[in-house]
Amino acid sequence: MQAIYRVAAATFHEAWRRRFLNAILVFAVLIIGSSWSLAYLQPGAELKLLIDIGLGSIRFFGMLIAIFLGVRLISDEIEKRTIHTILTKPVTRAQFLLGKFFGSLATVFSNLALMGIAFYAVFAFKAPGFMNKQPTDQSAGPAFSTEFIYANIAKAIGLTFVEMMVVTALAIMASTLFSWIMAVVFTFFIYFAGQAADFFKTLGNPQRGTGMFSQVVFNTVYGILPHFEVFDMREAILKGTYVGWDVLAQHVGLGVVYTVLILLVGYLAFMNREV
Amino acid sequence: MGRSEAAYLTPMNRQRGKQVLGWVMVVVLLVVIQPLAKLVDYNRTVLGMKSPTSITRIVDFDPTAISGVVMGAALGGFQGVAASMLWIKMEELWDSGKGTWLACMQVMRDVTLLDPHWLEPWKILGWHLAYNLYVETKDPAQQAIYLAKGLDILKEGISWNPDTYELYTELGWTYFDKVRDYENATKWFRAALQFPHPEYIERMIAHAYERMPDLDRALDWYDYCLKRYPNDETAKGATTTLRLRYLPAWRLMQAGQYDAAIAKIDDYLTAEPNGMIALHIKAHIYEQAGRDDKALEVWTLAARLSAMDVEAKRKVAELSAKLGRPLSAQELAPSFLLEQKEKAIPLAVPQHAKD
Amino acid sequence: MEEGTIFGLVGPNGSGKTTTLKLLLGLIYPTAGSGTVFGYHLGNPEYKRRIGFLPEGPYFYDHLNAVELLSFYGGLFGLGGAALAARSEELLRMVGMWNRREIRVRNYSRGMLQRIGLAQALINDPDLVFLDEPTAGLDPTAQMEMRSLMQLLRSQGKTVFLCSHLLKDMEPICDSVAILSRGMVRRHGRICDLLMSDAGRYRMRVTGCQNLPLQSLKDQSLDLRIEGEEITMLFADQRAALAAAGQIADGGGSIIELGAQTRSLEDVFIEAVASGGNE
Repeated sequence: MQAIYRVAAATFHEAWRRRFLNAILVFAVLIIGSSWSLAYLQPGAELKLLIDIGLGSIRFFGMLIAIFLGVRLISDEIEKRTIHTILTKPVTRAQFLLGKFFGSLATVFSNLALMGIAFYAVFAFKAPGFMNKQPTDQSAGPAFSTEFIYANIAKAIGLTFVEMMVVTALAIMASTLFSWIMAVVFTFFIYFAGQAADFFKTLGNPQRGTGMFSQVVFNTVYGILPHFEVFDMREAILKGTYVGWDVLAQHVGLGVVYTVLILLVGYLAFMNREV
Repeated sequence: MGRSEAAYLTPMNRQRGKQVLGWVMVVVLLVVIQPLAKLVDYNRTVLGMKSPTSITRIVDFDPTAISGVVMGAALGGFQGVAASMLWIKMEELWDSGKGTWLACMQVMRDVTLLDPHWLEPWKILGWHLAYNLYVETKDPAQQAIYLAKGLDILKEGISWNPDTYELYTELGWTYFDKVRDYENATKWFRAALQFPHPEYIERMIAHAYERMPDLDRALDWYDYCLKRYPNDETAKGATTTLRLRYLPAWRLMQAGQYDAAIAKIDDYLTAEPNGMIALHIKAHIYEQAGRDDKALEVWTLAARLSAMDVEAKRKVAELSAKLGRPLSAQELAPSFLLEQKEKAIPLAVPQHAKD
Repeated sequence: MEEGTIFGLVGPNGSGKTTTLKLLLGLIYPTAGSGTVFGYHLGNPEYKRRIGFLPEGPYFYDHLNAVELLSFYGGLFGLGGAALAARSEELLRMVGMWNRREIRVRNYSRGMLQRIGLAQALINDPDLVFLDEPTAGLDPTAQMEMRSLMQLLRSQGKTVFLCSHLLKDMEPICDSVAILSRGMVRRHGRICDLLMSDAGRYRMRVTGCQNLPLQSLKDQSLDLRIEGEEITMLFADQRAALAAAGQIADGGGSIIELGAQTRSLEDVFIEAVASGGNE
């Protein structure tokens, strides 16, 4: 535990000193803040734009931070041979990998939290005005009470964190396998393919008249790809859907299993790797 | 671990053992994750947190839409953001007056492809096509094309968002107000009733029946409106007007006293010769009386009075064919609007709303 | 390896020094065979508590300063608090970094990196210290200091495992060496034994011997080589050498050099590598 904690703490501190990652954070906060000055738009569009830009930025820049942080963690240590001084101490490779993972997770979490605070600040200031403009004659239309939408946004940011946990694990796994540029390409590829996982399911649907072989291929791809799109709660917020804790727990569970799975593959690749 | 055990478990063997165990666990986890992923997928579908995007439906798409879809795929999970950004750009373009209508509408079209569950772009794009572009040109053929495109875009929007009243209502309104095709209007308005909806939709259905004219149904729907919302002043007013102005003639017609019915409706038409509803009712009475030539006369009058009275134009075409008369008013009825009538609406319109 | 000595593993580049080191440190695993350190299998984290390692051309988290760096490495051993602080100070003073402890690693010179590298290798007070090319790339003063630090470690009862291709640096400090070539140990033993394997032989260099009977000298010596005016001879012992020296002096020759034959580690090394190559 001590070793994991120490590696994690060092990773966290080092990450916060990476100018590139700081720049992404600053940029993200600026973009989120810029929605403060959104000009007048159609009444229906304002709330959507605010939420899209806010949550979309958190998700997008969170992903950039998770990927660019993760992909260098292992390969850099191997390349610069700092790993030699660490693995020759009583630290197993599993502990090292977990330390790296938790360190980056803490970094990603703190970054997301800062972006989330920026978004809440803008939202709390701007949204009430927009929400009043919602048509009032909708007898059973979307319910946009302030507390309700705040809770949904917090849940959405929470799910984004779970998603970024999976992305971090993916980036670290890639880092045990490839040089960092290759790892960036790999992680982006899997992330975007995972976003469109449903597409493979659609293609593998027998009703489409897909051949037997193609069905197996598409469904296997669908089964293996992490379904990143499930962590997107924007639709629920805009429709005013109540997302219960049980459903939320299922999402988190899915994210945790993905993370464990990906880290395990990363560890298996790292286990016998010459460093 | 005892030393003797360590003696024959060489590090390499232990490593291999761990590897095999690890990969077995990977496979087990991959299997375990499937039901969980399925459960999440199910719940998201039920809660409406998940909806197909242009990427998932790329296979269903017309080829011209592919650029937007490819863009969406490249942007991965961020189509929503991209759509919002594009929309802001479009608004700027629009407000600055620099962008042409067509350029703005192209951007709107891209937005609908990027974020097909955002209703605003569908509505506004449909409205621009059916209303604004329509008046930009004097060429009836061109107008017909714009109108048809406006209706099509709303129908495509509905195919993405079939579980909310909004686009059905928008389409119903376009049929009601712009096309004046009241039969289609009632169908689409009634489709909107399947979902939570504002109260004015039932009233719109009554209005449409009134103009068709089908006064019995119109009255039914007004009554239904008032039962649901007893304080609906608009419905109250409408039903009073209907009863006072048109219902006496209508009842006489139903009783078979056609001449009396015509006389009754003419009373009102003397005061207001251009009254569209009254003209429709008059023509309808002639039809019921079997006097198709007189009916054609009234429908033709109605069609000439309002360039947009599609109901009248269709009747003119129908009756001219029936009577073997040359269709003088043919050019007044853009052919596509007549075809619209034939198209089956791909929706089961629930009956419960009326019962 | 004997405890409390300095052991050198020498060999040309690519001879397997680094691989051997990595195996011993558990950075890679043997594909066949096995080995033990302190009775533990290679790679077992247990013995890592008792070893220290200074890699070749070390590189550390460069956003840390010396104290933070040692605190990080100490933490990996579960050290902390005042004990760790005291240990850090002791080591930093020992390697001469105490006054520069606030400087961040990214601004370090090569010598400073080597010093802090040694300090981190010793943070757990190890019984066995592995040093990979500890003197490579250092200026002469720093090399001297590094050597004296190694001797200091030996005096503290620690065993030092040196790995280098810089034979001149190894010779004066190693107690024993193993010569590695193409993955095989060619020679090993105490350094004095290796260097003294020709003990008792004498070597003499002379000039101005044109008038002397060469054949007689050849008979007396083990080996005789002529390079221009100069003749180099090798004798079995001191007595034979002195006898020949007398003859040469009588014959008008002049002795440039006369003394016991010694060999450098370099000689042993080249011989070992050459013989290895013939196999």
